[in-house]
Amino acid sequence: MFAILLDGIVQGLQLSLMAVGITLIFGLGGVLNLAHGQIAVVGGIVTALCIGEGLNPVLACAMGVLGSGVLGLLMDRTLLVPAYRLAGEERLLLGLLVTLGLSFVVNGFLDVRYPTVALTLRLPTPSFALGEVTVRTASAVVALIALAAFGLLFAFLKLTLLGKVVRSIMQNEVGAGLCGINPARIRTLIVVLSAMMAGLAGVVQGLFSSLGTELGNEFTSFALIVAVIGGVRSVNGTLVAGILLGIVNAFASFYVGAYLTLLILLVTAAGTILVRPQGLFAFRT
Amino acid sequence: MRIVSERTALAATAVVLALVPLALGGSPHFLRIATLMLIGMAYAVAFNIIFGHTRQLFLCLGALAGASAYVSVVLTMKAGLSPWLTMPLGVALAAALGGAFSYVSVRRGLGVIFVGIVTLVFSMIFHNLVLGLREWTNGETGLETKGLGPAVLAGGLPAYYAILGVLAASALVYHALMRSRAGRAFQAIADDEFAAELAGINVTAYKVLAATVGSAILGVVGVVHAYYGGFISPTIYALGSIDIVALVTLLLGGMGTLLGPVLGGVLFTLLDELVRPLGRLNVMVYGILIIVLVITFRHGFVAMLRKRLKIHLP
Amino acid sequence: MSLLLSGEAVEVAYGDIAVVRGVNLEVREGEAVAVIGPNGAGKTTLFKAIAGMLALRDGSVRYAGARIDGRRHFEIVRQGIVYVPAERELFPQMSVLENLELGAYSCYGARAERLKFVLDLFPRLHERRRQLAGTLSGGEQQMLAIGRGLMSRPRVLLLDEPSTGLAPFFVSEIYRQFGQLKREGLTILLAEQQVPHALGFTDRAYVLENGRIHLSGTSNELLGNAEVQRAYLGMA
Repeated sequence: MFAILLDGIVQGLQLSLMAVGITLIFGLGGVLNLAHGQIAVVGGIVTALCIGEGLNPVLACAMGVLGSGVLGLLMDRTLLVPAYRLAGEERLLLGLLVTLGLSFVVNGFLDVRYPTVALTLRLPTPSFALGEVTVRTASAVVALIALAAFGLLFAFLKLTLLGKVVRSIMQNEVGAGLCGINPARIRTLIVVLSAMMAGLAGVVQGLFSSLGTELGNEFTSFALIVAVIGGVRSVNGTLVAGILLGIVNAFASFYVGAYLTLLILLVTAAGTILVRPQGLFAFRT
Repeated sequence: MRIVSERTALAATAVVLALVPLALGGSPHFLRIATLMLIGMAYAVAFNIIFGHTRQLFLCLGALAGASAYVSVVLTMKAGLSPWLTMPLGVALAAALGGAFSYVSVRRGLGVIFVGIVTLVFSMIFHNLVLGLREWTNGETGLETKGLGPAVLAGGLPAYYAILGVLAASALVYHALMRSRAGRAFQAIADDEFAAELAGINVTAYKVLAATVGSAILGVVGVVHAYYGGFISPTIYALGSIDIVALVTLLLGGMGTLLGPVLGGVLFTLLDELVRPLGRLNVMVYGILIIVLVITFRHGFVAMLRKRLKIHLP
Repeated sequence: MSLLLSGEAVEVAYGDIAVVRGVNLEVREGEAVAVIGPNGAGKTTLFKAIAGMLALRDGSVRYAGARIDGRRHFEIVRQGIVYVPAERELFPQMSVLENLELGAYSCYGARAERLKFVLDLFPRLHERRRQLAGTLSGGEQQMLAIGRGLMSRPRVLLLDEPSTGLAPFFVSEIYRQFGQLKREGLTILLAEQQVPHALGFTDRAYVLENGRIHLSGTSNELLGNAEVQRAYLGMA
């Protein structure tokens, strides 16, 4: 029982890591990034390629995360520019369609160029004992990475001026402008940050099991579900939702099976939008 | 500007499309491509009604069409019922689902994006249901429908003309709808939903109407597609197979126009064939196409023709 | 007193409809000027255009001699013109202090000194400094919006209907504070529906109706004007 709970929490942390990027871009830029999963996959593939070239695994992971960041930067500075010129629903729609197109482009490219490349990271000690429970080292490492990433993110958002500026734009873009804040530069920063979180999530997947080019859409779907349930504008909500859904997923899979579990999650997501669109767990941004 | 009436356009299009098989020189391969083109056009007509005119971003076109198809095929296959009985059932299901999504979304005041997310989630639910209920649906592998459906859909020229009939019927429904009071309501709703509500237009009723009619068409085309194609599987009704085709077709042709789905369908099919030798790189081409279209060519081919030829095409 | 802010033949449109047309106005340094008029006259549109949030269809806006129409609104803030909208546009999930802090974004180094100034001016904000902005009362939110605007050391303050939704007690209080700000040399352009307060506080005023300047003059003149009395002061 305890083992399932731990497993669920770790899975949940990974889900949160995947989803927080969507929340950040939606809350700040007003754009739903449907290419999120592909950005994560690119991170993983870059890491795998670097390892293939003999690079130290840790450095390779860093390169992967950076690679995702670069893709995010390119996306923001080119594709999203027409979307940023619009506002509200128009921006959402254009952003959604443009990122959808991008997801296809990346998918297609990776599928043809690197169809067999997959990222699998093996750790020297596959498991260790924590009290009476055997813990997969990978799980522990993933949990640490995710917690560290979130810790840094929260510290950034709550404590630094730039972080407060980010939150201010998320809470009221007009108000931020009235303070002399130029949202465009901050948006780029957040898109890059969110892309790097996605890349990290991709690398982490390599630790858990393996990451291949075909996982892009699945990543985006899961990230979307978690973000929606947690609250598409709330970073806190996304973290909580991810962990909870990870736990639910772990227990449900154990007792009920994969398909039904996924169905439950999907129905919950749909239900959340219908009942409480701002998210089940959205509180202070 | 000279105005081409909708009836003229419809008639001319029907004639042109009816003559297409003659230009294909009897090749069954190209006939199949042309028939699938007609199916794609019909999907686009449905999307045009739902999204082009009332801005309801249904990202579950494939799921609705697939729900209709699977219900019909499974009932025909396992319960031995006649396809002529099961097809309407499938259509009714699709229409009911589409109408329900629309109703709930409007009542809850969901914006375009949330409608998109909800319907996207539904399409994932559909996909997983099909995979999960594998005793009935045969999961990922799919079901063979050869010889199962109405004989006219079996293949060749009869199938082409039957499906052309379906497309024509869909276009006629579109035409009738847009010429009626509903059409004017759609225009008002698309311009400014809030103002339309204030002006006394029953926004809920009209949006649900558009969604239901559009979904019904999806149901019909989905089920026809199933029996013509000889084979159904979750992939055939996936987002990447149907929704994207409808979207790109409408973007190419022009949303909110009568000829948009047709012109878009022709362009898309030509493009698809051009891109075929690239193998799996075609997905990349679609992606680039969507990006370029959505940013620069927003109003589609019909709008471009209108400007260039100075004729108001419907 | 030199001319600090002026608009010449300002025209602002929403789509095809001109909401503000042919507006000429002047504000001199240290002055307090009111723009009064009925709902829908175009006061907010005019102010948003001056603040760079809306584009001019025609005409120009000058500040300290240079044209500023066409500049982005966040740039104009840095130049010293701060707009405080009727909707306040606060950051609801951040504390009073954090809201104020962000107001000083364009002159972040001086924020401690500015914070002291603002909190002295609005003791109520000092009491509630750790409270979330979204939980403040209407009057307190208005004070916070003005306070946030003051944090960036503006030379000109554009106040859009600051008395909206405020209890009379609060209205008197904020106008007292406006008086103090004016004494310290701040230039104020004020849009108001509460005409007696606006005319009592300002030096000069414009009457805006249907997007055009209908009347203008010193506030005393306008207080004595029969039309103004009938339309805005409820005197028959």
